[in-house]
Amino acid sequence: MAEKKGFPMPLEVEYPKELQGWEEMYPPTYLFSKERQEWEEKHFWFHDKIHAPEAMYPLDLIFQEAWQISLSQYTTRVFCIPPAQGIAQRMVGCYMYITPVAPPPPEIIGEKAGLFQKRVFYVFDHYDELWGMWLKKFRALGEEMEAIKVPEDFPKFESDDTVFPEPRGYYTSFEVMEAWDKLVNLMIKGWQFHFQYLNLAYLAYLLFTDTCRKLFPGASESTIGKLVAGAYVQMFRPEEELCRLARLAAAVPEIAKLLKSDLPAEKKLETLRKTAEGNDWLVEFEKSKDPWFYVSCGSGWFHYEGSWTTKLEIPFGYLKSYVERVERGEKIERDLPAIDKERAQLAEEYRKLIKTDEDRKAFDDTYKAVRTIYKYAEDHLFWVEHWFHTIWFDKVREFGRLLVKRGILKDVNDIYLFNRFEVPNLMEDMATTWALGEGVPSGAKYWQAKAEKRKKILEAAKKWNPIPAIGTPPEEIAEPFTIMLWGITTDKVNEWLKGSAVAPADVTELKGFASSAGIIEGKVRVVKLLEEITKVEQGDILVCPTTNPAWAPIFTKIKASITDIGGLTSHAAIVCREYGIPSVTGTGIATTVLKTGDTVKVDGNTGIVKILKRA
Amino acid sequence: MPYTLWFDKAGKEALALVGGKNASLGELIRAGIPVPPGFSVTTDAYLEFITGSLKDRIEEILSKIDQQDVVSLDEASATIRQLMAKTPFPTKMEEEIGSNYQALSQVFDTPDLPVAVRSSATAEDLPGASFAGQQDTFLWVQGIDEVLENIKHCMSSLFTPRAISYRIKMGFPHEKVLISVGVQKIADARAAGVMFTLNPLNGDPSKVVIEGNWGLGETVVAGLCNPDKFVVDKVTTVVEREISLKGVECVFDPRSRKVVHADIPPDRREIQCIEDQEILELARYAKKIEEYYGCPQDIEWAIDKQKPFPFNIFMVQSRPETVWSQKRKEPVLGKKSVYELLMEKALSTVKIEP
Repeated sequence: MAEKKGFPMPLEVEYPKELQGWEEMYPPTYLFSKERQEWEEKHFWFHDKIHAPEAMYPLDLIFQEAWQISLSQYTTRVFCIPPAQGIAQRMVGCYMYITPVAPPPPEIIGEKAGLFQKRVFYVFDHYDELWGMWLKKFRALGEEMEAIKVPEDFPKFESDDTVFPEPRGYYTSFEVMEAWDKLVNLMIKGWQFHFQYLNLAYLAYLLFTDTCRKLFPGASESTIGKLVAGAYVQMFRPEEELCRLARLAAAVPEIAKLLKSDLPAEKKLETLRKTAEGNDWLVEFEKSKDPWFYVSCGSGWFHYEGSWTTKLEIPFGYLKSYVERVERGEKIERDLPAIDKERAQLAEEYRKLIKTDEDRKAFDDTYKAVRTIYKYAEDHLFWVEHWFHTIWFDKVREFGRLLVKRGILKDVNDIYLFNRFEVPNLMEDMATTWALGEGVPSGAKYWQAKAEKRKKILEAAKKWNPIPAIGTPPEEIAEPFTIMLWGITTDKVNEWLKGSAVAPADVTELKGFASSAGIIEGKVRVVKLLEEITKVEQGDILVCPTTNPAWAPIFTKIKASITDIGGLTSHAAIVCREYGIPSVTGTGIATTVLKTGDTVKVDGNTGIVKILKRA
Repeated sequence: MPYTLWFDKAGKEALALVGGKNASLGELIRAGIPVPPGFSVTTDAYLEFITGSLKDRIEEILSKIDQQDVVSLDEASATIRQLMAKTPFPTKMEEEIGSNYQALSQVFDTPDLPVAVRSSATAEDLPGASFAGQQDTFLWVQGIDEVLENIKHCMSSLFTPRAISYRIKMGFPHEKVLISVGVQKIADARAAGVMFTLNPLNGDPSKVVIEGNWGLGETVVAGLCNPDKFVVDKVTTVVEREISLKGVECVFDPRSRKVVHADIPPDRREIQCIEDQEILELARYAKKIEEYYGCPQDIEWAIDKQKPFPFNIFMVQSRPETVWSQKRKEPVLGKKSVYELLMEKALSTVKIEP
């Protein structure tokens, strides 16, 4: 059956020969294997275009490893969603494939139901206070990560103060290895917290969707998204902070003039430091910066995306346009009370259409539940994927620099070519070589040769178009993430089957989430990296991998957005609904299939993008 | 004992006099909905027409029907309807109808104003649509003689074979069923159709579903074409549309002076028959009408050819929707608490058909 439909079995997947050797980049349990063949063949594996759309650098896999454990355990062992199990991952030719594990035996479902009831209802009832505790705990974790000391170099000789009055007993060699282990452990721990309430938030969303669909069978995805999405979510804070800083700057002519100039960001900072007013503004800038400018320029999942703190040109670019707009008398802030009021009105109008008191109560209660806990899905994203990951990337870069300085690697970013179990080997080699004294060779040549080889494999993998799925399509899925994030349905599977034979240039239609209503035709502008955002012109249809607050200011320029990644409550979806422009998110392939200048029709009501004319 | 009543003077309180259809037009006008003007010929007028020897003759013919014999039923029906057609209205009644028609013509400054003549039964909401007689509608009736003739024709529709046999079967006395007739300025429609204040496919109360075609609404009402379909969200006013290939429209043919079915020229077949602003205006009226009646409605509408937007939109009929309204009285979610619903959701799975 699977063969007939065109999905190969796990061990039958064929790769281009340029990918040879890809297997060694990832932990061995990530490979399909003879030992687990029977189980693996029973499952349906699909390419996770949402979280791992691109060829995976070994060290960036850490987030995936962490979510495989964390997401799964909350479903199976903590909150016990009765018929659901975890999501398993495998790597195939540098791309990640996942599968929702088949439901457990009936007696386990029964046992889990009891625990689910007890634990989940408790969380629903206490969410507001629990969120406060979560945030405190998580910020402490991030601060702990930030406090990890990575030596700039190994000392020629350890300093006196490590010897007197009592020799410390452990030295830089241990400190470096310990720091790395700690960094990894904190990242894994952070991801344990990541899913603390996320499965439940999605479950509440699905519950509310169900309720709406029963009451209003034609309720659109974007309407439900609009009802649920909150205005006061932390993902919007970076943008709000920029607005605040722009207003402060606009009040001081010299600062405004400086921020509007085309000088590089570093030059602007330098100039600001020279005056009292400038320093006052910088105090405010620093206040905003940590935590609010710790936003990735992408999804937060990949080291090459960078963040506002590493790419200062981006926030300063936005500041320039915000200051200009303030001076023109425009309002730059999102009108939060108005957005909130509009949402409340929308809910009230639907509520009025409900015919019976019982249904109205069920609607009110499920709406309240989702409005309470869904905030988590919106808020955790800033703290984990952006703030926490930014700290991680900064720290890893410090280790990268150290490895380069010690001659182990050639480039700072080459550390990402080694997975998290391999990096300790590099650390140990570096420490050992230092400890052994002068004139001792390290394994640098070995590591560097490996790095070169892996770079080539990854380059080849980027050119390869991985198959959408592997193995046997399942009969049923209960895992809330699979349903909500990947939207796995019969249609989706068929789409993959259909799409698997089509080359990007031959695709005529894309399907994604109908995230913001409206239909519009126009030319697309494909922006893969945030740095290219300056090329966007008024009235373009933005096509990008994903958006987040780092992209926010562009939404006043575009007339629709199409993304590869993101659901109904993704950043692009929320902002487009606010600005009333159509949006189709989570197409998986928009940036691959579309080229700048193509004419498309974006239908935000159905989630379909039609390619009308190729550029 | 009025023979006629203008629509705006007779709402639901006058149901016995003007019948369901006409009373609902009165109600629509009161709700501030644009309705082409017109008047009812009342059930009193009908009663006065069917008196004396005409009444006796009808009763005699009816009493001789052999229920088992279809031919005898058909003959009786034909005889009664001919008899009614030949019998003139009482002079005063004829004068009153005449002066109303003239007044209506004067309002539009059109001698012999084209009107629609429709029966409006008093027992419409009883089970069995054929109870009161066929719901006859005559379009593009012009001149007082044609108006009178068609009023009579509507009245005699109480005596179609089906109506007679139904009453006999149900044991309902013939003389207890009355009829009123509406005379209404015809909406010279560029496009027309029906709309529901819920989605008749799934009962979704948050949607207005509009179906329309070029020309008069009869092609949509009678299901003679694939209409354009628009589903409008009552809250967000987002419109989903299905534009159909429309082959036939119902139009007035000035040469034959009849309403005919005409092929739609190719250049209009695949064109959306109502504009977006008209869709939204129709949906707005649908909401207003539903709110006024307090229950879902099934509405006929027309877009006038001549008038500018928004003055070109008219409702010509509204009646309660029955199928989903009955179901929706019960809670859809089955009186469950949020925890029960959550448990249900947690236990659910999504079936994938391989």
